Amino acid sequence: MSGSGKGRGRAAFTFNIEAIGFAKGETLPEVAFKPPPLFPPTDFKPVPLKMGEEEDYMLALKQEFRASMKKMPYFMQKEDENQGIEKYSKKYLQMRKESMEWTPDWRRLPREMKPRKKTKKGGKTKKGKVATPKSNVDVLKKIEELEKKGDEEKSDEEKEKEKDKEGEEEEEEAGNEQEEYDEEEHEEENDYIASYFEDGDDFGAGSDDNMDEATY
Amino acid sequence: MTQAEIKLCSLLLQEHFGEIVEKIGTHLIKTGSQPLRVIANDTGMSLDQVKKALCVLIQHNLVTYQLQKRGFVEYEASCSRVLRILRYPRYIYTAKTLYSDMGELIVEELLLNGKMTMSAVVRKVANRLTETMEDGKTMDYGEVSNTFVRLADTHFIQRCPMAPETTETSDAPPPPVPTLAVNEKDMYVVPNLNLIGKGKRRRSFDDEDDGEHKAKRQKQDADSKEPPPDDGIYWQANIDRFHQHFRDQAIVSAVANRMDQTSSEIVRTMLRMSEITTSSNAPYTQPLSSNEIFRSLPAGYNIVKQILDQYLTLLADDPLEFVGKSGDSGGGMYVINLHKALATLATATQESIVQERFGSRCARIFRLLLRKKHLEQKQVEDFAMIPAKEAKDMLYKMLSENFVSLQEIPKTPDHAPSRTFYLYTVNTLSSARMLLHWCYKSVANLIERRQYETKENKRLLEKSQRVEAILASMQATGAEEVQLQEIEEMITAPERQQLENLKRNVNKIDASENQVDETIFVLESYIESTVKKL
Repeated sequence: MSGSGKGRGRAAFTFNIEAIGFAKGETLPEVAFKPPPLFPPTDFKPVPLKMGEEEDYMLALKQEFRASMKKMPYFMQKEDENQGIEKYSKKYLQMRKESMEWTPDWRRLPREMKPRKKTKKGGKTKKGKVATPKSNVDVLKKIEELEKKGDEEKSDEEKEKEKDKEGEEEEEEAGNEQEEYDEEEHEEENDYIASYFEDGDDFGAGSDDNMDEATY
Repeated sequence: MTQAEIKLCSLLLQEHFGEIVEKIGTHLIKTGSQPLRVIANDTGMSLDQVKKALCVLIQHNLVTYQLQKRGFVEYEASCSRVLRILRYPRYIYTAKTLYSDMGELIVEELLLNGKMTMSAVVRKVANRLTETMEDGKTMDYGEVSNTFVRLADTHFIQRCPMAPETTETSDAPPPPVPTLAVNEKDMYVVPNLNLIGKGKRRRSFDDEDDGEHKAKRQKQDADSKEPPPDDGIYWQANIDRFHQHFRDQAIVSAVANRMDQTSSEIVRTMLRMSEITTSSNAPYTQPLSSNEIFRSLPAGYNIVKQILDQYLTLLADDPLEFVGKSGDSGGGMYVINLHKALATLATATQESIVQERFGSRCARIFRLLLRKKHLEQKQVEDFAMIPAKEAKDMLYKMLSENFVSLQEIPKTPDHAPSRTFYLYTVNTLSSARMLLHWCYKSVANLIERRQYETKENKRLLEKSQRVEAILASMQATGAEEVQLQEIEEMITAPERQQLENLKRNVNKIDASENQVDETIFVLESYIESTVKKL
C-alpha cells in the first residue's frame, strides 16, 4: 500500500503548503480548543466621538424626547406587584397621569379595537380598585372564560366573523358578571354560607326564647 | 428580521412605550401578521391590554392592519419603522436648521404623538413657545400655521391616509375595518383653516395645584369643545423626505471634501432643483442643463458661466462619478448619479472601518482590492508593496472577519486545490450588510449598557431628584441661604462624584448611539438602492 504523503501518521495537505506561507516542515500554529475570548484586546483603539454644537444639541434632544415619551399617555407601564418604598409619591404621579388619558380616533381603527361600553365601565371600576382585590377579579374572569370555552368550541365550525362578534359578546357578559361577582365577593368575607343566616327577621330574637320546648 | 434587529426594536419600544407595548410589538415583529386573539394567546396578556397596546402602536405608525378574506383583521408590525425611532433626534434637528424653533417643535410634536390634526399641533406648539417667551408675550397661531404650511409644501410632513366619511343613514352595518385611502394629490394640501388665537401660558403655582387645575381645565375643554374644522385630517412626519435630505447633505459634503466649496454649492443647487421632480429612489436625477443651473445658483455666488462650465466638466470627469454628463444640449446636460454616490459613500465607510480596525496597511490592501476587483495572493503582495509574510497575515485576518472573500477558479474539473486559482475580492454589498448587522448589535449593546448604568445608580438618582425638588420648592417660597445649603449637603461629595460619572457615561453612550445611527443611515440607503423595486 502506498503511504499517503510523507510517511505514516504525518499530516499531509492536498495543496502545496508553501502557497500559504508556511515553510516546509515548520511547526504549524497551535489549534485552539476553546472559543475566542469575549473581550479580546484590540491593537487599535477606537476613534474619539465627534464633538461639537450639533452633536450636543442632538444629544439633548434625544434625552428630552425619551423623557417626554415617558410622561405621555402612550407609555404603558406594567403595574408593579410590590410597590416597595415609593408608594406615596407614586399615588400622586398616577393620579396626574390618569388625568391625561388618551382616546384614539375610533373611525380609523378596526371595530374590534373599541372596548365595549359595558366593559369600559367595568374597566374603570377595576382601575379604582387596583390596589385591593386585583388578583381575585382576574381569577374570577378566568373562571368565566373557562366556562365560556365550552361555547367557544362549538363556534369553531362557524365563520370567523361571527366568532369575533361572539368574542365581543362574551366580554360583555364577563364584564356584567364581573360586577355581580364583585358584590358577592364583598359579602363573603367569612366562611359562613350566606343563605343559612339571614340577618334581620329572627336572628337575635329566636335564640333567647325557649318557645321550642314548650308548645302547649 | 435578524436577531440583532429584533433585539434593538424591543429595546427601543421598551424605552419609549413601556413593557406592555414592547412585548406585543416584539411578538408581532417576530411572527409577522397575526389576528388579535392569537396575539393575546401567544403573549399571555389580557385582551384589553393587547387592544390598548395595538392602538398605541397604530397611532405611531408602527403597526398596520389589514382585513383578510375570511373576515378577520390581521396586524403587522414594521421592523424598519421601529428602528427609525433611533433617528428621531436627527429629524427634529434638521427641522430646526431649516425652519428654526417653530419647525423643530412642530416636528417634535408630530413624532411624539404619531399623528395629529393641524389645529392640535398649532395649539400645542403655540403654548410651548409662549412658555419660553418673556412675561406678557404670547405666540400667535398665525405664525405657527405659516411654518406648518411651509413644512407641508416642502413635503416634510404629509397627510395620513383618510378614513371614509360615515353617513348616518346607511343601513348596512359599518365594516369591521375602515378602508384608509391615500389620495396622492391631497397628500400635502393644507386644509383651509382660520386659526386665530394665541398661545396660553401655564401659570406656575405649586406643582400639585397646577396639576389639578390643568386636569380640571382639560376636562372642561374636552367637554365643551366642538369638533375642530379639520377633524379627521391627520398629519405625520414624512420620514422619506428627511432621508432624502440627509442623502443630499451627505453627497454635498462628500463633494466639498473631495473638491472645493464652489463645486459643492453647484451640486447642492442641482440637488435642490431636482427635489420635487425626482422620486426618492431614482438612480439619477433628471437631466439639468448648464443654463438652468446657472440661473438657479444662489444669489451670493457670482461666478461666470464659463467657470461654471469648467466646474461641471471637472465634476463629470471625476473618477467618483457623482455627476455625469448625459447630453450636450442647452450647454451640456448633467445628472447626479444618486445610486453611484450612495455606493461610493458606503464603500468609503467600509474603508474607514477597515482602517480603524486593522491599520492603514490593511486599508491599503482593501482599497487595492476594491480597485482591481480580483487579485491573487502574490499579486496583492506586489501591488501593495508590503512584504509577503505581513501581507498574508493581513489578508487572512480580513478574510476571517469576512471583509474579503475568496473566489475559486479551478484549472481542472476535479477542483484540486494545488491546481486552482484563489482570488481575493471584496463584495461591497455583502460586507455592507454585515456591517449593518454589526451596527444594530452595537446600538443594542449601547442601550443595554446605558440601562444597566442607570439601574445601578437608581437609588442615587432618585435621591438627587428629591433633593432638587425640595430645593426648588424652598426657593419658590423664599428660604435662607443656610437652609438651602443644608439641603444641598444631603448629597455627600463622593455621591456627587458618582452622579457626575454617571451623567458623563450616559451622555457618552447616548452620543455614541447617535453616531452609530449615522453609519446605519449610509449603509441602509446603499443597500436599499441596490434592491430592485418591482
